Amino acid sequence: MAREPLLSLRRICRSFGGIQALDNVSLEIGKGDVIGLVGDNGAGKSTLIKILAGAHDPTSGEVILEGQPHKLSPPAEAQRLGIETVYQDLSLVGAFTAAENFFLGREIALGRGPALLRWMRRGAMGDTALRGLETLNIDIPGIRNKPVDRMSGGQRQLVAIARGAFWGHKLLLLDEPTAALGVRESREVLDLIRRLAAKGLTIIMVTHNLDHLWQVCNRVVVMRRGRKVADLSSADTNMEEVVAYITGARAISEAAA
Amino acid sequence: MNRAVMSADHPLPEPSAPSEGALPVAQAGPLPPGMRDRRARLMRFIGTYGTIIVLAAMLVIFSILQPGTFATVGNFRNIINDMAIGTIVASGLTVPLVAGDFDLSIGYVASFCGLLVVGLLSFSGLSIPLAIVLVVGLGTLIGVVNGIVVSKIGVNAFIATLGTGTIVVGLNYAYSGGIPLQLTQGREFTKIAIGRIAGVPHLVIIMAAVLIILWVILNRTVQGQHIKAIGVSPESARRAGVAVDRSRIVAFAIASTCAAIGGVLMASNLGSGQVTAGDGFMLTSFSAAFLGSAALREGQFHIVGTLIGVLTVAVGNNGLAMIGAPIFTQFLFAGTLLVIAVALGGIGRRFGRG
Repeated sequence: MAREPLLSLRRICRSFGGIQALDNVSLEIGKGDVIGLVGDNGAGKSTLIKILAGAHDPTSGEVILEGQPHKLSPPAEAQRLGIETVYQDLSLVGAFTAAENFFLGREIALGRGPALLRWMRRGAMGDTALRGLETLNIDIPGIRNKPVDRMSGGQRQLVAIARGAFWGHKLLLLDEPTAALGVRESREVLDLIRRLAAKGLTIIMVTHNLDHLWQVCNRVVVMRRGRKVADLSSADTNMEEVVAYITGARAISEAAA
Repeated sequence: MNRAVMSADHPLPEPSAPSEGALPVAQAGPLPPGMRDRRARLMRFIGTYGTIIVLAAMLVIFSILQPGTFATVGNFRNIINDMAIGTIVASGLTVPLVAGDFDLSIGYVASFCGLLVVGLLSFSGLSIPLAIVLVVGLGTLIGVVNGIVVSKIGVNAFIATLGTGTIVVGLNYAYSGGIPLQLTQGREFTKIAIGRIAGVPHLVIIMAAVLIILWVILNRTVQGQHIKAIGVSPESARRAGVAVDRSRIVAFAIASTCAAIGGVLMASNLGSGQVTAGDGFMLTSFSAAFLGSAALREGQFHIVGTLIGVLTVAVGNNGLAMIGAPIFTQFLFAGTLLVIAVALGGIGRRFGRG
């Protein structure tokens, strides 16, 4: 793991009322890492992702981005720093086209000042979205004029991830990107994640599907009861070992301590 | 309000059980795919063209019943002129509806603003432009308050605007004592609603201007895009970085501003301030907007649809008057139309391709 560090979490704790959702979690994320984040429900995966996405602040601990301490919240700040999140659902507006979704909240517009006075440049938005998807070899008909809720679940997920990759030049967070998809659609989405990784994008992917994890990730981080219990190179471990960490059959590994 | 409906799956209604003599194949499952498709297509057609069919039917029926009076150019000129103020209020209401919020206060805002502008002219001696700017500004402010209560404090829009609307009624009575105000100063004020430019009534020109401005805001500006996005999927919009609260506030402000403009024009038209003159705009605006959601767009609210909706309401009222129907039928018509309108919009959403 001799990658140049991108982001370090140092002794992150987060509690909600009396519940300790994250307990002293430290994580080094190297540039170009593709990390699979696994763990049972309630293990703290979502809380960790939300801290990285800027949706939650840590109760204590430090976030170091490229050598500098940073506050990632609110989500707009994380986005400004180049961290994008693709949520499991609710990431696209169904009645909008892929191009409109690409630029939602960041429309290309003429004029300055209040949104009421900014004129949308639909043509430019359509062209840019089309080019952005083309560079990722995503070929979906009707980018400019088909509402995404008339696309398949797989196509929607491709659009959502491509949008995240388009804006997130540093870190892309994927929350169960293949959870609701069929076999063929999952393969397309995993292909896209591989292509993004090959371009050098850093990715953290929450998943319950260890098979999918092994297809794209170079690292596996296992959470259990709010703590990081394992941080392994995919090449040096196997599915049985990871499952053992998830279920608690194996205790905290040296690598994670 | 329409959020839940929009995000739900679009289940087809359970087909009725096949009759005794039906083939075993048909008994095994729901309707054969071909028939189900046909039914869905029919429903989608009704949801998309329902209002236009209702409008066309009324035009045909009233033209047959009263060819000499209803189906005349002069009568249609009257219809357009009479619906101008209602169109301004209804198209304003369309904006929060697109954002997914009801505004029940618009009628009371129109009443109060109409009364207040007459009061400011007659008793406070303000100049006409100043009185209008103050009153329309007050309308905007009421809308901003609605938006803040709904978005920042999180009160359900239905209840919140019922509350603010009732407060506005209170202000109205406090100001007027419940008595109509006569316009004693600034007689020029009445020329705003009654004059013509090149033969076109001022009201029609103002209506067209408001329609164009609102259409441009909703369809061509970043703000409009955000208002549409939060109406479909507020959570996705929020996560994409849309300022959801601000967009809702802007939408309420637009509706309330249009209601105030409607109130001012109504007062100019009447030459007096009537305590409850604008209250009826609430019902007709909702009818028009929901009828409009079943015009061309599969259940989505939009400005052109609302215009078609207002036209439908206006043609109905005018036609009933023309055939000499007693006054109670107008209420029966208005109420029935509101229910039909909401039903058509719902069909559009449920069976839309979305």
